[in-house]
Amino acid sequence: MVRLSDLADYEREHLLAKNTLPLGPAVWVAPDKPLSAMRIALITTAGIHYRGVSAFELTDATFRPIDGNEDAKDLVMSHSSVNFDKSGFAEDVNVVFPLQRFRELEAEGLIGSVAAINYSFMGAGLPPEAYEQGASQVAGLLKQDNVDAVFLTPV
Amino acid sequence: MTTGISLVRENTESMKPPRAMWVSFPLGRPLGKPGDADFQREVIMAALNLFNRHAGPVLEDFPRDLPDLEADLRMACPVAFPKKHDRSDNWVMRLTREMDLMKPWYELSLRRREGRTLVGVAEQSPSKNIVALGELLDAGDLPRDVKWLKRAVEDLKACYSEAMTAQPGDYDHEAQQVQFWQETVLGEAILALYEQYQRSEDDRLKLIARILAPREAVGAASGPTGEKS
Repeated sequence: MVRLSDLADYEREHLLAKNTLPLGPAVWVAPDKPLSAMRIALITTAGIHYRGVSAFELTDATFRPIDGNEDAKDLVMSHSSVNFDKSGFAEDVNVVFPLQRFRELEAEGLIGSVAAINYSFMGAGLPPEAYEQGASQVAGLLKQDNVDAVFLTPV
Repeated sequence: MTTGISLVRENTESMKPPRAMWVSFPLGRPLGKPGDADFQREVIMAALNLFNRHAGPVLEDFPRDLPDLEADLRMACPVAFPKKHDRSDNWVMRLTREMDLMKPWYELSLRRREGRTLVGVAEQSPSKNIVALGELLDAGDLPRDVKWLKRAVEDLKACYSEAMTAQPGDYDHEAQQVQFWQETVLGEAILALYEQYQRSEDDRLKLIARILAPREAVGAASGPTGEKS
């Protein structure tokens, strides 16, 4: 469990060192439609990509598109951190990147739709500011796909 | 608009994203439980419901922890690692002998998981990479190709992890990690490389050590080369 009080001192200090100032002025956008009409994209910092696509480097602020129509079984992970468990992702992609769950919510009409392309970054070794260019690029791509909202997963 | 999962509450509190749902799950498992669609869906819906809030930033706690695994329901690793490694052989021999032991279980894992595997980040197969790793250790060389090293080690660890969990059932992943680092020749080999990089006076090489082994494994290794009694 990631309750800092449950972790060893060195692990707690390592994680607390990642605290940062707020990433810019507070932004609050209220939805203009119900969840059942929203088009939602998944974005993760888990460093995942399809096998055969170039793996992430040791530190890497680029991103990889995840085409939801390809077989999720071929998703692999080249995250640089060794301080988290990857066996859950090996067992079930959805525990990190719940594309199948979102497809089910789409089929049941609980959300409007899932984005055509979702995205993966690799969150290790760089400060958040390093990802600004890639994040802006992804924001533009999501707008082109008429995405209303993003569901973010860390690892 | 964004919503999402927070794994380290303190980090999220400091960054103040508009909406986040903190979960008490282990790092690496933001949706909680592999193979449990109902539980994953509950987490997702809790985070999506934050879109109904009228002001933010919102940081809520997901109300459920993962249930503890009953001790007698935990699956044991099917691979029997020799209690005492024969250190008279070189690294290549010890590593390839262990890889031969893992292969049938890795193949079983592939069948059980219908081809799903995390192996495949490196260009060469794990069988070739484990020989290359052993040769470097036998020669006392530090791998110069860091990109190769990172990907080869990732693939090898994935291959072992999947082999060690080849049978269906619930595993205690923390216990599995302890077993990997304390009982396998591969774990010992990676810790030996870790120590070599760590002893370097070049800070860039010291950084490489950090992508090889987690802090708990290094802390648990009792000797300067990761040797265990």
